Amino acid sequence: MSSDSINTLGRKRTGIFIIFGVLLLLVVALNLTLGSVRIPLQDVLKVLFRQPGVKDSWVFIVQDYRLPKILTAILAGMALSASGLQMQTMFRNPLADPFILGINSGASLGVAIAIMGAGLAGGLFIPALNFSGDLGLVAAASLGAGVVMGLILLVGRRVNNPTTLLILGLMFGHATSALVSLLIYFSAPEKVKAYSIWSFGSFTGVTWNQLMVLIPVILFALGILAFLPKGLNALLLGEDYARTMGLNVTRLRVLVLISASILSGAITAFCGPIGFIGVAVPHIARNLLKTSNHKLLIPAVILIGAIVAVAADLVAQMPGSQFVLPINVVTSLFGAPFVLWIVLKGKRGSTSFNV
Amino acid sequence: MKTPLLSTQNLQIGYSNGKPASKIVGSELNLDLYQGEFVCLVGPNGAGKSTLLRTLTGLLPVLGGEVLLGGKNMRQYSRKELANEISVVLTSPIQVGAMTVSELVAMGRFPFTGLFDRMSENDWRIVHQALEMVGLLGFEERMVHKLSDGERQKVMIARALAQEPRILVLDEPTAYLDLPGRVSVMNLLHELAKNHSQTVLTSTHDLDLAMRSADRLWLMSPGGKIISGAPEDLVLSGDFQRVFARERITFDVMNGHFSVAGSHESQVCLQGEGEVRVWTERALQRIGYSVSSVDQSTGLRIAIETSENGLVWQVEQGNQKNEFTNLESLVSYLRGSSSLVSN
Repeated sequence: MSSDSINTLGRKRTGIFIIFGVLLLLVVALNLTLGSVRIPLQDVLKVLFRQPGVKDSWVFIVQDYRLPKILTAILAGMALSASGLQMQTMFRNPLADPFILGINSGASLGVAIAIMGAGLAGGLFIPALNFSGDLGLVAAASLGAGVVMGLILLVGRRVNNPTTLLILGLMFGHATSALVSLLIYFSAPEKVKAYSIWSFGSFTGVTWNQLMVLIPVILFALGILAFLPKGLNALLLGEDYARTMGLNVTRLRVLVLISASILSGAITAFCGPIGFIGVAVPHIARNLLKTSNHKLLIPAVILIGAIVAVAADLVAQMPGSQFVLPINVVTSLFGAPFVLWIVLKGKRGSTSFNV
Repeated sequence: MKTPLLSTQNLQIGYSNGKPASKIVGSELNLDLYQGEFVCLVGPNGAGKSTLLRTLTGLLPVLGGEVLLGGKNMRQYSRKELANEISVVLTSPIQVGAMTVSELVAMGRFPFTGLFDRMSENDWRIVHQALEMVGLLGFEERMVHKLSDGERQKVMIARALAQEPRILVLDEPTAYLDLPGRVSVMNLLHELAKNHSQTVLTSTHDLDLAMRSADRLWLMSPGGKIISGAPEDLVLSGDFQRVFARERITFDVMNGHFSVAGSHESQVCLQGEGEVRVWTERALQRIGYSVSSVDQSTGLRIAIETSENGLVWQVEQGNQKNEFTNLESLVSYLRGSSSLVSN
């Protein structure tokens, strides 16, 4: 009977998930030891388990620099990938992701308005705020992201052409970026510099206090997503089929909108706009697992997203050198050819929907 | 008198688009659909077949009148309750990406599984049954995007059956299929009604197949009016011919198919029997001859003979006599000679 064969398929997939887990541990371990200073793994472990006998500077590097940075990278990878997956299914577009559809721009506009409008203290975009300030930042960014996504959803209902949708996203992105530029234009020079640094994207600089905001927010949004695989699977057949199966499509859209805009908004607020992870990781997951079933894809993109983000950060550190590349340089250099590949192979009955 | 499973009273269909002025496609529709019957909705393009089906499945709002489903007004059904009554197969090919046949058919259990979509043993049994009904047992682990169009449409029918609907509604399920695929899908629908007393309502452009397999036709004319009845009754009453009336296309009541109305100026006397005669007649009608067995004084006579080497067509025209061993050469000869005559 078919449930048996599904079990054998399931075992194969369990194997893949174990490999993902091992890979994640590996890139995290490498990221903890490598960097501008090489710290042996046993010393890293001593710091993590609060054992004595490690140089003070190393303790500082691991505890207050690398560990929060890696946690941020993991959160960002999970959040952007999960956000991209939801958006690709909802918009029925293989290129949908927070970066490409201009939803990040909405998030940055939210942050800019919050800081300028509310006149909050601290530098623009790298604010040293208190807890409620950080939460407000996340809320503003998510709201900005949500407004742009909602607009694309509203206008996108009238267009069936996937390419038109992408152009729509591009235009919304440009429009919101222009508003951000306008705000920047009337800002002090140091804020302009801070903005350009922020726009390179970075996992560093997120403090433990900020992580205490970021972690529950991301978990909350992923928690919403945990209830959505059934509806997202139904949506794969198209909206008409989904409705005749009894799915409340509008409610699903609203939940996806909330989850995806919190995920991309929160990460954009703290790390800047980070490209290509959201669009690429869902495709990697579909190709590795050979499925479009969201019950498998959601955990897979969360794991793969974390691996990819930590690995990208590892490359950005350029181990052995004193230089650190902006994270967006790394994700774009690897991501742009990947997106080209998706577009070019898209026409031949692939594992995803067509472009 | 049986009570219908679904009936409409003065139903008005069309698009509303949220604007005050809605586009009415059809009105005053009074239709009945009974348990276990196979009904084909036929009509020319643009008559509003899809609009009607989308209204009956709840995808478009009822603009006026009533739809009664199991005696209860359809407006009172929630989307989920409606999913227990009606399941659909749509025209357009689906793009689900990588999914196995059993995963896709299992989606038919959507209205019955819980929030996290856990399939019980019973759910899998129903999936198995649905695959058996469409003749796709053994296809469980095949990837949907690697199937032929006909197989994929049968998978979609299996998915709809797994929803255990009281009514299965299909919107031109054969539109993208090749001829064997069309015959096979229409035959499947016929058997679902006959052997499993599944109520089936489908729209189709395959008039020939619809007339041969449907219990009843809903004949929709471009004005949005529907006449329902047994296919044969609709032909005998002349309604069928009237709805599909088009310039130069006529419905041949004797043969039951549409043909291009030729001028039939030339006449031919054909002598011969059996299937050879039938296909020779078709070849001759194709090039504009009207065929009779009676020897008329028009001068053109064709006799079918069997020789040692197979079939021979002997053509006698005036005092010219020719023999042909296949219809292709016969046809090209007659075409040539008729153009000679007209010159």
